[in-house]
Amino acid sequence: MSRRYDSRTTIFSQEGRLYQVEYAIQAIDQAGAALGITGTDGIILAAEKKQTSKLLEPSISSEKMYKIDDHIACAVAGITSDANILINNARVKAQQYTYAYQSPVPVEYLVQQICDLKQGYTQYGGLRPFGVSFLFAGYDKKYGFQLYQSDPSGNYGGWKAQAIGDNNRNAQSTLKTEWKPEFTTKEALHLAVKIMSKTMDSTNLSSRTLDIHRLTLGPNGTILFQEVPEKELNAVLEEILKAKALEKEEE
Amino acid sequence: MSILEYNGGACLAMVGKGCVAVASDLRFGAQATTIATNMPKVHRINDKCFVGLAGLTSDNQTILNKILFRTKLYSLREEREIKPSVLSNLISTMLYEKRFGPYYVEPLVCGLEGPEDKPFISAMDLIGAPLLAEDFVLIGSTVTEALFGICESLYRPNLEPEELFEIISQCLLAGVDRDALSGWGAVVHIITKDKVVSRTLRGRQD
Repeated sequence: MSRRYDSRTTIFSQEGRLYQVEYAIQAIDQAGAALGITGTDGIILAAEKKQTSKLLEPSISSEKMYKIDDHIACAVAGITSDANILINNARVKAQQYTYAYQSPVPVEYLVQQICDLKQGYTQYGGLRPFGVSFLFAGYDKKYGFQLYQSDPSGNYGGWKAQAIGDNNRNAQSTLKTEWKPEFTTKEALHLAVKIMSKTMDSTNLSSRTLDIHRLTLGPNGTILFQEVPEKELNAVLEEILKAKALEKEEE
Repeated sequence: MSILEYNGGACLAMVGKGCVAVASDLRFGAQATTIATNMPKVHRINDKCFVGLAGLTSDNQTILNKILFRTKLYSLREEREIKPSVLSNLISTMLYEKRFGPYYVEPLVCGLEGPEDKPFISAMDLIGAPLLAEDFVLIGSTVTEALFGICESLYRPNLEPEELFEIISQCLLAGVDRDALSGWGAVVHIITKDKVVSRTLRGRQD
C-alpha cells in the first residue's frame, strides 16, 4: 500500500517507517552470519565465510573481519562494497583522532562517528542507506573491552553478546540463555563455535568456512587482534560436534 | 641564523653487511640554550624502517605525526608493513606538497627491505629532493661539513653489525662534539633482519 514512498529513501511512510532502512536490514539478514561475544579477558568475533563458488580465488584478506586501528576491529554483515567504504572511513577517522589528540580513539566515539555517517544517508541527499551491519570490538583504557552493534539506520548499542546476518534471531536467543558474565575468551570461543554450528549449514562447517578472531590484551599493554589458529579451532569444533552427536543419540 | 639551525641536532645512517645503523644526538635546544638532553631524533616506524628528523623541532614533531598517520593507514589497507624505499617516496611527496611554504625538516629514512633484507638509506632536503646513497647519509645543517669529512674517511663498505656500531658511533660523536648546537650524547640503533639493538652513548656533556 505504501509502495509509492519506497523509492524515496529520505522520507517517512504513512505509518512513520523508513522503508529503505528496513529493506537494507532485510538484505543483511541474508548475508553471512557474524557473532560477537565478550569475555572477562577479551572479545571473540566469529564470522561465516560464505563460499559462493568453487571458482573464486581464495582471498588473502578476510571479507568479514577488519582491523580499524590497533585497539579496534570489526566484523561485517551485508554488502561488502558498502562495508569497504565505511571501514576505510573508520580507519581514517581513527587516525585523525590520534593525530589531533595523540591518543587512541575511544571505541564508542568511533562507533558514533560511523553511525552518524550512516544516519546521514537516511535523512539527506536522496541516496540509499549503507547495506551493512557491524559488530565493533575494541578496548580502551577507560571502559576496557567493549562490543557494539550498528545497523543501516545509524542506531548502535553496546552489547555483552550479539549476532548479525543470517539466522541472527536464533543466535540471539541462544546467546540470551547461554551467555554468562563470568565467561573467559576460552568459554566465549566455545559458545561462538557452538552457535555457528547451529546457524551455519552443517556440510560447510570447518575451519575454512569459519573465521574467528580474538581481541585480547598482550604483553606490555599491547592489544592483540588475532585469528584463532586452525589447530585450536579444529579442536573446539571436534568437541562441539561430539557433543552434538551425543545429544542426537540421547534423543 | 637560518631556521633549520635553530634547534640544532644531527642524524646519521650507514649501510653495513646485511644491516643498517642509524644514530642521532640527544640535544634539544633553542639557539644557545639547551632545553633537554634526552631527545633522540630517530623514530621507529616498524621493525625494519626508521626515520630520522633534523631541522626545526616543531616541524619535526608535526611531520612525524603525519608520517605515523599515513603509515598506519598504509599497514591497515595493505595488510603489510611499509618498506623504507616506499616511505622515502611518501615523505618526499608530503614535503613537496608544501613547496612554497615548506616544513623546515630534513628527513632521513633507513631500513631493510625485500626478501633478502637489503639495506636502504636515503635523505632529503626540506622540499623533498631525495638522495639515495649506498654508503651513508647524514642530516642536521649545523654539523654536515664536519660529519661529511669524518664519515668519508672512516667509512668502509661491508662492515659487520658490531664494527658498524663502532664506526657510526665514532663518526657521530666526533662530529657533534665540535658543534655547539648538537651533542649531549647519542643514541645508536643497529638494524639487522632478526633484531634491532639500541645503545645510548655518553659523549661530551656540553
